[in-house]
Amino acid sequence: MTALRQAGLILLIAVGLAGVTAAVHPKRPSFLAPPRDPNEVTLAQTKPWAGNILWVDARSESEFATEHIPDAVCLNFENWNEQFPKFLDRYNPGQRVVVYCSATSCQLSREIAAKLKASGVDDAYFLEGGWETWKLQDRP
Amino acid sequence: MSTVTQSIGGRPILRIGRLLLRVSIAALFLFAAIAKLVDPSSFAQQIANYQLTPWPATAVLSVFLPALELCVGISLLLGRWESGALVWVAVLLTIFSGALLSAIVRGLSIDCGCFGRSIENTGTLWPLIRNLALLAITGFLWFSRPRERSSQ
Repeated sequence: MTALRQAGLILLIAVGLAGVTAAVHPKRPSFLAPPRDPNEVTLAQTKPWAGNILWVDARSESEFATEHIPDAVCLNFENWNEQFPKFLDRYNPGQRVVVYCSATSCQLSREIAAKLKASGVDDAYFLEGGWETWKLQDRP
Repeated sequence: MSTVTQSIGGRPILRIGRLLLRVSIAALFLFAAIAKLVDPSSFAQQIANYQLTPWPATAVLSVFLPALELCVGISLLLGRWESGALVWVAVLLTIFSGALLSAIVRGLSIDCGCFGRSIENTGTLWPLIRNLALLAITGFLWFSRPRERSSQ
């Protein structure tokens, strides 16, 4: 049997297995739209938290250096071990932490917020629309 | 090619070395597949971080990629349809490396997602280097594979 024929058979079996996963797996993803996360907040929702909010920029250090929300701290997966202690220096227990990344299509803020929660930061959320939304609102 | 095959065919130590490499690649793919199949929804979010595909395609990939990795891993482990499995290993590693490279070029600070949530904080550069090394091993396995009988 040629390599390509074998590869085709492997593909067919994989497609079948993927179909079963998509049909019955309890943690299968939503196929039409990304699920709404309870930790997702809009910019309007963050307004009442003014004065008690720590912004976390999950974009790259270069993007952060170019422009960021005032008083935000940079925290991303790439440099987590170096940046997390700096985050802890700025974080006060009881503070709301809102993570943002570049845009709505960016899922990174969700990931960082989840990791912060797992690290003991209970009030960790992520911003719907991210940096793009902040810029559009032209918030001071 | 034939020189490599003949050379390995005549040396038990090299045959064992090849077997170990094949089983190692199989174990890596099986681990990656199972880690992702535990929580496809979470893996979909990791794919979405690359910002390369629209959500419906991302969701489909989150169930298809682990399934393919599982089939490839089992095939390599059992030594059945090895040539076909090696084709997929090369294709998958090339696609994964391309995605990682594009993330690096675009300055995305994301987690690889190579092993679902089981191994995090790997960034993108080291997984890219690892993938290139695995591609080299795959090339060796391909060119040194035993010739299959026509009845198989």
